[in-house]
Amino acid sequence: MVAKILVYVVRVHPAFLVVLSALLLIDLLTLFSVTPYLAVKQGLWEVFGLLMGLGILLVPYPLFLKNARWIYGVVLALLAIVFLAGHASHGARRWIGLGWFQIQPSEFMILGLILFLTWLFVPEKRDIPLRPARFAAGLLASVFPALLIARQPDLGTAFELMIIFSVFVFLKGIPSRIVTISVLGGLAFFPVLWEGVWTHLHEFQKDRIRAFIDPSSDPSGLGYHTIQSIVAVGSGGWFGQGLSGATQVRYQFLPGAHTDFVFAVFTEEWGFAGALVFLALVSYLVWFGFRTAMDCRDPAGFYLSAGVTGFFLFCFLINVLMVLGILPVVGVPMPLMSYGGSAMIVSLGAMALLMNVRIYAKR
Amino acid sequence: MASEFRFHKNGILGSPRARLNGLIFVFWLGMAVVIVRLYVVQVIKHHHYLALARDNVVKVVPIPPLRGEITDRNGVVLVRNGPDFAVFEIPGEVRHPRRELAWLAFDLGIPASKLRHALSRLGFVLPPHMPVPLETGLSMAQVGRVNMDLYRLPGFYIQVMPKRIYPPDNIGAHLLGYVGSFTSSDLKGSFYRHLPPGTGIGKSGIEKEYDALLQGAPGLRRQLVDSHGRMVRNLRNKPPKEGRSLRLTIDMRLQMTAERFLGDRRGAVVALDPRNGEILALASHPSYNSEELSQAMSSARWKTLAHATDHPLTDRAVQGLYPPGSVFKIVTALAGLSEHKLDPDAPFHCAGTFRVGSVIFHDWKRGGHGTLHLHKAIEQSCDIFFYHLGMNLGPEPIARVARLFGLGSRTGIDLPAELSGVVPDREWKRKYLHTPWYPGETPPMAIGQGYLTVTPLEMARLMGAVAMNGQISHPHLLLGETGKGSSQMPPDLTPIPIPKKDFDIVRADLRDVVAAPHGTGHPVNLPFFAIAGKTGTAQVVSNRGKNKGTKRPKADSWFVGFGPFDDPRIVVAVLIENGGDGGDVAGPVAREVFRMFYITRLAEKGNPAPAVAS
Repeated sequence: MVAKILVYVVRVHPAFLVVLSALLLIDLLTLFSVTPYLAVKQGLWEVFGLLMGLGILLVPYPLFLKNARWIYGVVLALLAIVFLAGHASHGARRWIGLGWFQIQPSEFMILGLILFLTWLFVPEKRDIPLRPARFAAGLLASVFPALLIARQPDLGTAFELMIIFSVFVFLKGIPSRIVTISVLGGLAFFPVLWEGVWTHLHEFQKDRIRAFIDPSSDPSGLGYHTIQSIVAVGSGGWFGQGLSGATQVRYQFLPGAHTDFVFAVFTEEWGFAGALVFLALVSYLVWFGFRTAMDCRDPAGFYLSAGVTGFFLFCFLINVLMVLGILPVVGVPMPLMSYGGSAMIVSLGAMALLMNVRIYAKR
Repeated sequence: MASEFRFHKNGILGSPRARLNGLIFVFWLGMAVVIVRLYVVQVIKHHHYLALARDNVVKVVPIPPLRGEITDRNGVVLVRNGPDFAVFEIPGEVRHPRRELAWLAFDLGIPASKLRHALSRLGFVLPPHMPVPLETGLSMAQVGRVNMDLYRLPGFYIQVMPKRIYPPDNIGAHLLGYVGSFTSSDLKGSFYRHLPPGTGIGKSGIEKEYDALLQGAPGLRRQLVDSHGRMVRNLRNKPPKEGRSLRLTIDMRLQMTAERFLGDRRGAVVALDPRNGEILALASHPSYNSEELSQAMSSARWKTLAHATDHPLTDRAVQGLYPPGSVFKIVTALAGLSEHKLDPDAPFHCAGTFRVGSVIFHDWKRGGHGTLHLHKAIEQSCDIFFYHLGMNLGPEPIARVARLFGLGSRTGIDLPAELSGVVPDREWKRKYLHTPWYPGETPPMAIGQGYLTVTPLEMARLMGAVAMNGQISHPHLLLGETGKGSSQMPPDLTPIPIPKKDFDIVRADLRDVVAAPHGTGHPVNLPFFAIAGKTGTAQVVSNRGKNKGTKRPKADSWFVGFGPFDDPRIVVAVLIENGGDGGDVAGPVAREVFRMFYITRLAEKGNPAPAVAS
């Protein structure tokens, strides 16, 4: 069974495999230039994630969707445990320790939510318009874990959950009058929302947003991330400084070089040319997801692959625009690239879901 | 397609497929923004950001230059650089600060609180990897004990730093000055802007006047640093340029003689070469310890020095203002001669008193000197003679001649903060005191009292001009820079429009002040060295200032003279505050300076000792 699946993927989608492996190798190389030790760990996680992806390929996606409620429930329970444990120790906690490694339930909530929303929004073989009740259920299913995660505090992942929800709702289609009403209502209630959201943000989260508005106002403090990131990208030039010449990374001027700002590291080392190659690789993955969804005759398969694609492309865009100083530093990591075991497993899992739809959906 | 109708057709953009196309469109749009932005940042503004990245990692550390040495005219080193041992701590590398500071304090033999104080002053401001100096000026014994213990004091080390070493016993302290770390007000001058912090700059004396020469130019060390400021690698060094060494006109032997015979008395000694204005000795007492002032000192100690009643920080030789007393009679006599109001051979009767209006002035000698003429009047310093002459002249001619000799204006010596005395006349009094000149103020002025003040340096220059037939010199201290050949300054003398014969008359009188047995300067007389000069015993009227607290202050004693008589080569001016009689108190100090000059400069050349009729 495993061999059959592997042979199928290799023979039918060699380009996908090549692009994915290229991205994973680029990831390892980049992390190696930051901290070799992290690259070794990340390599282990990649192997682990690929094995898990292979496992996902063994199970047709309708089976996942049928059990989406339970998958979602388990992840939510883990999140709650982390939340309660964090409260008990009066500090931020994101991890569950499992002996020799730790997992972040918040990352797994991404996969859980994608599956759950697909199951919730496509209950039948036929695609029916979104009813208010299901919309409300989907909203609750997204906002509740997002709030739990935001309290950890991990604004980036909570933000990602809301991206997923928005992508699904957008794909599902909202009547234009409802869009108009909510936009107007949102404007009307902006002060209330402002109070409700702004005052509940942590101070460092507020600082990041303040720093985005004017990074140079406090170059050593709040705007430091953005400034150093742009300096790193800009010093890359056409062909980059190479692994040894990238001083921003090598002498630790770039904070979060291995997580949120891994793209800045890559561009400093490989320059504009390298960045174009990288963007081409990422674009192929997005294109692959788009084709998978477009070719899919099964609504559930369509929403699943389109949801994964939308999530992937938005996270990617937001991260890159953040590195380039166009968006505030909201802490959205780059899928497949940023360091993190759980994140890598989830990214590879999402890729596996795409391939799963590609393999099992009727075309 | 068959699958088309399976999707609903509600919502914006028509169908889910169309909306997915919309998402992809957003993606392409985002990609376009990303690529344009990348192009702008990476290609167009590449150099700008590359420079910023270089700024991040390259730190430029200035290396302080070694200050130049100062030698006397014979090459005797007056100020040099010596090692100063200091113990440093790198707070980030210390494991048990309390315990190890206690050990270190035990080794140094000082209380641990002192170390903690030094640490708290700097240690919390600097990043933890920057070394903090804990204690400077360690003795060899302390260095040894700490060195033995360094194995258990990680994060501590001993470093040698340059330190200025001045002559022992505060010799020439005022003249040489001292160095100190620059303050923010010093930074306003562009010269100091490039100096590394902690570099000493001249604060007074020669150290300040020639700071630009002594200082040298700092070198630069370009270092590769990481984001914590830690050095990764040295990139390039530009070595510092050492400061230039200075050679002074001072003769250390004369300087030491002057200070030794000045002893514990408050006063000043100036010795200069009248032929070219080279200062041979410039002493002032009480003095201060230049090394103490060059180090960080407590504000309490500073206040003690600055507010002490005997003003140790004042260089009396160039900043002390004193009435010249009878020494000024030279000026009065010359004024009388040049105004043709004084016949040197006319007899004059001194009865011991002189009357102006209702005021009666007395001679210093009770009963007067009897009948005499100019020669005896100068020799025995008869006051009545000069009262009379002064009244004949009025203040203006006296002031004019005094100003010709440079009194009342700075000599321009190369020392900072030189002061000049006051030469009063009618106009001066109206301008500054807003009162008219009273006739009773002329006689005191004629004998160097009243408003008249001078510095010892001014008097030395005056006597030099008398010795040189009215060629006035410009006193200076810099002989030439060591190592550049002895480019001696050309004799720089300015003539004074007074006939030579007047000087001849006065000089002959001055010779007998010293040589004649009844001359007031006879204590200065040396059998082998023809000295001429004039004593002065300036009464101190004020009970304030330097005489604060004394009930009836003794007079300031002066002796200003030159020698050898026929070929003047040295002028010595001695002032002793509240010393008493000029000849008896200031005279011997001058005599010893003359003696030392003779021994070192004349006798060794086989000069015959001039026969002196005494």
